[in-house]
Parts: sequence; C-alpha cells; structure tokens
Amino acid sequence: MSKQYLTLHTLDSAHPTDVFALAPTKSQILSASGSSSILVHSTTAADFPLVQSLDGAHKLGIHHLVTSKEGNRAASAGFEGKVKTWRPTEEGIWELEGEIADQAKPGDIWAIALSADGNYLASSSINGKIHVWSLNKAEGTPKIREYETKGSFGLCVDLSADGAFTASGHENGGIYIFNNDTGRLSHSLAGLVHPVRAVSFSPASKLLAAAGDARVIALYDVNSGEQVANLSGHGGWILTLDWSDTGEYLLSGSHDSKAKVWRIETRSCVATHSHGDRPLWAARWLPKATRSEMFALAGGNQAISFYREAAG
Amino acid sequence: MDFDETDQSDEALFHVLSSQASNEDSWGNDFDDDEMLDDGLEEIAIPWVLASSSPQPTSAREHVDPATSKVQASFEYGELADTSDPIALDHVDRFQKDREWVIARIEEMLENIVDGLLGEKKSISITLKSRSGLTRRTAGLPTGSSSLPPKVAEIGFPGATAQEAWKFTVLVRMLEIVHASLIDDVVVTKRQVMFERGSGGCPDLFSDIYYRDPDLFMKQSVVDRYVDDLACTLNISRSQLNVGVLVPKLHKGDKLHLDDVEVILILEKEATFRSLLTSSHWSRMISHTLVLTAKGYPDLATRQFLGIMASQCPNIPTFMLADFDPDGIGIMSTYKYGSYRLAHEAMTDQGTLSLDLPRLRWLGVYSDQIRQLVNQVNGGEVGTATDVRGLMRLSARDRNKASRMLEWDICTEKGQEQEWRHQLQVMLMLNIKAEMQILEELSGGLARWIFEEITKNLYSP
Repeated sequence: MSKQYLTLHTLDSAHPTDVFALAPTKSQILSASGSSSILVHSTTAADFPLVQSLDGAHKLGIHHLVTSKEGNRAASAGFEGKVKTWRPTEEGIWELEGEIADQAKPGDIWAIALSADGNYLASSSINGKIHVWSLNKAEGTPKIREYETKGSFGLCVDLSADGAFTASGHENGGIYIFNNDTGRLSHSLAGLVHPVRAVSFSPASKLLAAAGDARVIALYDVNSGEQVANLSGHGGWILTLDWSDTGEYLLSGSHDSKAKVWRIETRSCVATHSHGDRPLWAARWLPKATRSEMFALAGGNQAISFYREAAG
Repeated sequence: MDFDETDQSDEALFHVLSSQASNEDSWGNDFDDDEMLDDGLEEIAIPWVLASSSPQPTSAREHVDPATSKVQASFEYGELADTSDPIALDHVDRFQKDREWVIARIEEMLENIVDGLLGEKKSISITLKSRSGLTRRTAGLPTGSSSLPPKVAEIGFPGATAQEAWKFTVLVRMLEIVHASLIDDVVVTKRQVMFERGSGGCPDLFSDIYYRDPDLFMKQSVVDRYVDDLACTLNISRSQLNVGVLVPKLHKGDKLHLDDVEVILILEKEATFRSLLTSSHWSRMISHTLVLTAKGYPDLATRQFLGIMASQCPNIPTFMLADFDPDGIGIMSTYKYGSYRLAHEAMTDQGTLSLDLPRLRWLGVYSDQIRQLVNQVNGGEVGTATDVRGLMRLSARDRNKASRMLEWDICTEKGQEQEWRHQLQVMLMLNIKAEMQILEELSGGLARWIFEEITKNLYSP
C-alpha cells in the first residue's frame, strides 16, 4: 500500500551551492553545503524562516553535518579537514563549542555521527580507520576508540542511539559493526561489494541499513550480523538513509534525484519523490511533533524541500 | 634532428595534418582514407595540432612579444622540429615482418600458454626480451640498435611470486589486446591512444591499452614498458604492434590559414586528440575547428601561441576538454591563468597576463555529464560506478590535491571560479574521477558529444 506525501514548503536557493547535509532538531533544521556557512531554519513556522547563519564555519565548504537526537549538540566536518562541535543556547541560538583536532590532514576525518545524547562522536577516515571520541570537554574530548578496518576509505559512519555500536561503510563494499563497550569488531557484514555510501541504525538499534552504489538497501540484524532483507528499487547510487522515529519507515535518497520511503514491516517502497534533476545528498525525517510525519530533502538543486504525510 | 639519436627530444613540435606531409611514413597510410587528410590545407586549413611538451627549449622562449607578433610568427616553432621523419625506427629487416607475421608470432605465444594450460607442457611461461634500463645508459645509440643484447627473462605462471603472476597476467592481457587490434587492423588509437614521447628519446606508444584495464595495469608506465618489451622480443617497432601513430608535423615554411578558424578546442590529452581525428564522425561534423593539445600541463610555447591567438582573434571562442579529476582542473587553470598557482610545478612564468585565457570555456568533463552518463549506460538496472568504463576512485593524492585546490583564491567562496569549487567538492563527495574517454561510452561517441556540446555552447547565451 502506498503512502502519500505532499510538498509542504520549498526553500529555493537555500544555499548558493549543493546542499550536502541536513540535520534536524525538534524545532529547527540545520543545513550545510559547499559554501562556508551552516544555516538554521525554523521548522515550527509555516514558511520555515531562516533563524541563524553560522558564517565562515568551514571556509572550504562543509561535507558533513549532524545533530544529536536530543538536539543538544551539532557537529560539522569541512573540506579543510576540521570537525567543529556546536551547542544551542536555551533560546536555540547555536554557538561554536570547540574543534576536534587530531593533527588531521584534509580527508583524515570524513563522515561523522553523534550519539543520541550528543556525548560521543564517531568519524570515518580515508584510510579506513574508525574513531570514537568523547565530547566531554573537561576531559579534553579524548579519542576513546580506534577501530582498524581493511584500509578502504570509510565513506559513512553511524552510532547506535544507545551508544553501544558503531557502524561504518567503506568504498570496497565493506560494512562493519563495532561494539563500543568491548572495543571490538562485532560483525563484518557481507553483501554489497560496491561502495557503501550510507549506514544507519534503526532507533531501537536492532537493525542496520546500508546502501550505496549497489543501488539496493541491505538490512542487517545488529546482534547476529545476518542480512535480513534487501530493498531494491533505486536506479541510482544511494547516497543517504534515515529511519523514522518509530523505526517503521526508512527514507533513502539517490544520486539520480529520487527519494523513497520504505515500510520496514512489508519491506516495500511506499512512496517515491523526485527532487529536481541533481544528486540528492541528504534526506532526513523531522522528529515527530504533534503533526503527521515530515521529512526534508536537499541536494544539488540548492533547495531544501519539506514533505508531510497526507492526512487520512 | 632524429629522435633516436638524442635525448633532447622535448622540443615543441608543430604537427600539422596535411596531405603533403609524411606519405613516406608507412604507418601514416592508415589514415590516408581519412577525409581530413585528403583535403588540402588550402581548403579547410584545419584541424591541426600543436603538440608540445615541457620543458621547452630556450629558443622557444625568446622571441614572442604577443603585442607585436603576427600570428604566423608563432610558427617559427616549427623550425624547432627538424624535417626528418620523427619515426625513424623502421629498420630494413622490420619491414619484412608484416602484420601477418606479427599476428602469427603472437598467436604462437598464446598457443604456448594454452598448451601449458592443457598440461601439454611442463610450465606456462612467456619469454620476454627487454632493453628497458639499457637505453638510458646508452643514450645516443638508436633504441632499435642491436649493438647491445637485450636482457632475456622468463615470466611464468603462477610464478614464484605474486608479482610474477601479475606480470604474466599483464602480458597475456596485452597480447590479447594487441592481437585483437592487429586482426581488426585497427590501430589501438581508434578508441583511445596515449601518444607521448618516452624519456629515452624515442617516439612512442600510446594506447588505450592502459584504459582497457586500469585496475590490472596499475599505471601507464607499466603498459609502456611491456609494449616496449614485446616489441623488443619480436624485434619489431611498436608501430608494428598497431600501437601508436605519429601525426605528420609542420615543416619549416608551411603556413596555416587561420582565417577560417571559428572555434578553438583545447584537449588535455593527446589520447583524446588522436581518438577524435581518427573518428569518422569528426571530419563530417566539425569544420573550422582548431584542435590543440599540449599533453597535460601546457608549456610556455603552447600558451604563447594561444595568447597570440587570443590577442589577434579575441572573438574566437575557446573551449577546454579535460579529465574530471584535480589535474584536469589544474591543467585548465594553467591554460586560463598561468602556472603561478602551481608553484610545485616549478615553471617559470613570463608575461603571465598576456598568456592568460580569461575567456576559456569549460566544455567538460564535469559531474553532471558523468551522472547523465551513469544513468544512461545503466538504464536503471542494477549497476555501479565501476560498470562504466573510465570511472575511477580518487587516490589519496587526488584527494589531497583537490583539497589544496579548494584553497586557491579563485576557488574561494568569493573567487571567480565557483564552478571549479563546486566540481572539486562533488568529486570529493563521491570520491570518483573520470577520464575524458568515458564520453566514448555515449551513443555517437566522443566526437558527436563534443560537436553537440560546442554547438550548444555557441548558440545558447
């Protein structure tokens, strides 16, 4: 059974160039692009007004931007190789908190992820190493885990909501799940062979979704490491994945501008949307408020579009 | 000047395609049925090529004052190239080894391997003669000289080491490609040819052999070396392997008529240049287009020539076709703004301002074209980046280079090359790069694509 999502609003030319990342909180959506600024739009007002611009965040442009589920922290990664963390004031104004520096050369840190409570940050790197950092400032934001892989570029990374696991996806098709408590590899997942561009834990940390140039989304059982499903239907490389709050739906976005909503229970695609004709770099659900489910899409057409589930 | 007699082979050469040149070049006959060659320069004047490489001889730097020079003044460069045929490697005995002979020898080698596989021989191996490493020490001797005995090596499979197994695989794959091209009697250049002068002072080899299987061959120099060794083993010239052909060059006193030039197209690589000129579509579709390559980063002579063209004929649109990788954009930047951004290239720059091509337009390759190609080729079926030939991953060096280029003032947020910034970022995001020859995958091939893109650019605002 298909679902209907309606375009609620589009912020045309939100950024002057490709929007590479979206990071929602309960009341805002942060976005980053090839420009140096992080933009903050309100998601509680009908016209999604711009409420803040963090100018000059990363001079060479920003490739990754994430927020913690609790909305108490954001982290951004720039093409110059730095990772910055940001915190909101009580009024919802974002301020620079600090930088994670590891004598990193550009590209040493690539993808980033925050734990639900915002206390931990995971990063992937060009040499395949996966790091987990504590963001406790008093302790000097130490690196607490360093996981070795086979050396293939880590294109994507995620932390489970409970903080127990780190997952990474690699250019050679490798997908790994690490146990953060023991500091050991839990599973090396087989199945995709081709570059893996997105990994995402389900909200209950039971499933891991992974996708990339193979154009299928693979679902794995986090505990057993078994592949439990293959969701196929995308015609282009899959660049982004996001679970809905309840874990009922998975949102995916692809290089050929398509977004798809998948119902996990039936393993089926229930909606497909086109977002212009440029790569769809980012697709994110907005945390469920009182209203119906909403998601946002952004990419090469420089716009951010908001969709909501049709009533009834 | 004979290439075989000197290491000083890096002069800027003018090569002009004209009917008057080099019919004595036995391999040039391959192109005699090409319409472009049959038409005299008087009628179409184009296309022709400026082929050059750095470093330039000092004499090339001396004379050009772009403000006063006539266009034809630049053709004095032609004097740098002697009128002797640069391919002087055809020994008499080699002429007796015709195509059938070479095919038979290669088939012999392949049969030996098959016999080995069938267990009729004790071992599977290829015996290879090599002069690599010898030529440099004996600079001044013709590379084809038999005065030094070649080294002989036995390369077996599976071999003693993984390295040997790989060498064997490389050789078999090359034998297969060369064999196929000989059977079809198509110079390998037909699809892609990399034509460049080797460090040993020998005019050489190119081929898309490398691009047929970049993962196997690892780098162009591997192909160069083994084609050399293969030619050495059979005691023939590379051209007899159907690998590489040299364009006839401009002779002293030749004149080019530039009045008819309506478009200038700069190609990053001679591979593409060669592919274009051997394409049957090209001559039908393109006229009045001057095509030029400097084989990578342009040298001063090339830039001086273009600078003169730009000052004399400022209204001729000039396009650049380069690889989708940091070097492609870097090369375009050198054409457009000079080499001062590329301090590591250690090139001295003279008269940067007058040599710049501020109106140079970027024809490709950029990410949108690749995206369309990927979607066209795969047609929605399950497939991946690597399904499209020519699409490759960025190396660590590529990524570093791209990041450094984002720091260039022209690529900053306020810089004048926003599209370069954008393309470098997308390259890094997807971690892919693509050679120009990827466009051959399109229906109609590269020639048609270039024609359509130029047309689109000329007639749209």
